[in-house]
Amino acid sequence: MDRLIEDTAERIFADHVDKAALDAAESGEFPNALWQVVRDSGLHLVGSPQSGSELADLYGVLRVAGRHAVPLPLAEVLIANSLLDEAGFTTIAVDGVAPWARIADRVLTVDGELSRRFDAEPGSNLAGESRDRVVLFDTERVDLPTDLRERMALCRVALMSGCLERILAMAIDYATEREQFGRPISRFQAVQHNLAVLAGEAAAARCAYDAAVASVDSPGFVHHVAAAKARVGEAAGIAAEIAHQVHGAMGFTHEHSLHHFTRRLWAWRDEYGRESLWQEMLGRRIATGGADSVWDFVVDAG
Amino acid sequence: MFTGLEFEAVGLPPEAEALRGEVREFTSKELPADYWPNADFNEGHSPDFSRKLGERGWIGMTWPKRFGGGERTFFERYVVTEELLAAGAPVSAHWIADRQSGPLLLNYGTEAQCRRYLPRIARGECYFSIGMSEPNSGSDLASVRTRAERVRDGWIVNGTKIWTTDAQRNHYIIALVRTSPPSDDRHAGLSQLLIDLYADGVTVRPIRNLAGGEDFNEVVFEDCLVPDDGVVGEPGNGWTQVTSELGYERSGPERFLSAFRVLVEFVRAVGNDPRRDEAALIGRLASHLMTLRRMSISVAGMLQQGGNPAVESALVKSLGNDFEKLVGELVRLQAPPGHPGLERCLRQTLLHAPSFTLRGGTREILRGVIARGLGLR
Repeated sequence: MDRLIEDTAERIFADHVDKAALDAAESGEFPNALWQVVRDSGLHLVGSPQSGSELADLYGVLRVAGRHAVPLPLAEVLIANSLLDEAGFTTIAVDGVAPWARIADRVLTVDGELSRRFDAEPGSNLAGESRDRVVLFDTERVDLPTDLRERMALCRVALMSGCLERILAMAIDYATEREQFGRPISRFQAVQHNLAVLAGEAAAARCAYDAAVASVDSPGFVHHVAAAKARVGEAAGIAAEIAHQVHGAMGFTHEHSLHHFTRRLWAWRDEYGRESLWQEMLGRRIATGGADSVWDFVVDAG
Repeated sequence: MFTGLEFEAVGLPPEAEALRGEVREFTSKELPADYWPNADFNEGHSPDFSRKLGERGWIGMTWPKRFGGGERTFFERYVVTEELLAAGAPVSAHWIADRQSGPLLLNYGTEAQCRRYLPRIARGECYFSIGMSEPNSGSDLASVRTRAERVRDGWIVNGTKIWTTDAQRNHYIIALVRTSPPSDDRHAGLSQLLIDLYADGVTVRPIRNLAGGEDFNEVVFEDCLVPDDGVVGEPGNGWTQVTSELGYERSGPERFLSAFRVLVEFVRAVGNDPRRDEAALIGRLASHLMTLRRMSISVAGMLQQGGNPAVESALVKSLGNDFEKLVGELVRLQAPPGHPGLERCLRQTLLHAPSFTLRGGTREILRGVIARGLGLR
């Protein structure tokens, strides 16, 4: 992971993504200004052959994007640009649904259909992120890598990992500021222990993500992604629950920004395969290898 | 923005991976064909097996050669330990000496102490126990009451240590004792003494656990004379030293592999074509295991860089112990009948489960350590 790219992404997202931007995007307004800044910086090309950066950098940018709940279809644009070696605005559809298809120039399906002419009916996920239902016309076939679904799942893992770091930071800040019984609630052991569990889930998610990124282009990639999507999906549920408990009723209001992150976690853990799907896939592979190969699988996931 | 605890992305280097095959070859040769694997690092006290490991250079791997070590990396040690645990090898005899007593002596001991003990530990001949808990001092370790009084040639020790694993079979104990009266600074006045478990004035009584085993003991010191050269580090520096041991004690693969056999036997029981829910359970447990392993390797990297990953270790142990408990509880619900191997593992895990989140620091203490690392305390 190129530190410079990560720092650039952090700076841009920190400067341009705030509560107002998130609310506007959720009401259906595409964040044109933010998209322009991203294009000008070249972040939309990270991971594509022409940029000279690697896939690890692409996932790294998404981790930063998750930290800021960036309201752009960055995962789709970055992956599409990396596959097609382009600099455009192509979104990616799975099961007939694609983020911001109503704005995109083209739609690519995970099954390899590419189209410039399509209908897009606006829709959204649990987080209010655009998930438009598409009908494609005049499609052309594109040769795609067989592990595209896994790549997309890893994008969600990256986003969730960043998002988990953010809600940990928010919960710690809130617990340190909020006073009850004459002291900050962070002084209470019960609250401290909940935050310790939240920190553990965030750290586990980070390590599961790292393992999957380290396996890019290796035979174990699919299995590491399966493990990561399953484990990080579990972490998302546990962590979001604790973050809300710590924030009390304040975090349940629309005015507070916590829900922009927790609702994304709840949405992303379901997208590109919820935990049960990846657990079953992983379990089936392990069972096929047999009891005496379980350890081998854990060690090299090959 | 605070982004949590740093677990640097670390994979095992090739020279560490290269050891994996050697260890597997070794265990398949040394363990009998009908060997039933131990579930846990503190089962299976075999001086014979430990000596053979010592001959291979797999004890004290990271220590200097002049003390009998191998000057290898923590990653190489990691591979050897995880392979031994996965094979369920009988490693309990040398485990604590290799994991923490040796490193403690290296960090704080005298040249003479290192020369005297480390080569014997590395040969697999000399075994240590941990002397921390007492009947009235468990999680509140700084409240220990075992006293050591200064006399002309050393120290006279009185008091009782408890939950001392393998004290009835090991040679030495490193005990945390009070060498000056309690003061406002609770952590002051504590020291570590290296004591011969066969010395006069030491009585070891095994304590039977709920599973019927006798792994842990009560160790009573009655006017036990410890010579001056038994002091580890500086008198009064015991608290700093004892907490530095914990990074070694808490992060290793033994903290999440105690229930590993249950997973293996469950896979055997459900066969090559499991039901959906069975496959999902296998996958869920594997996803946890793969992640914990990655975290533990990351901590090995911190040790390799000379860091003191006390908080990260507490976090790995805490997650690992919760996982060990989860394995037993979830597999129990789906275990098909008629598989004696699985039943045996499950019984073992369910009966030992209470100890997972107690030994080496309770879940509550660990969460406190993590909370301090987060700046909350």
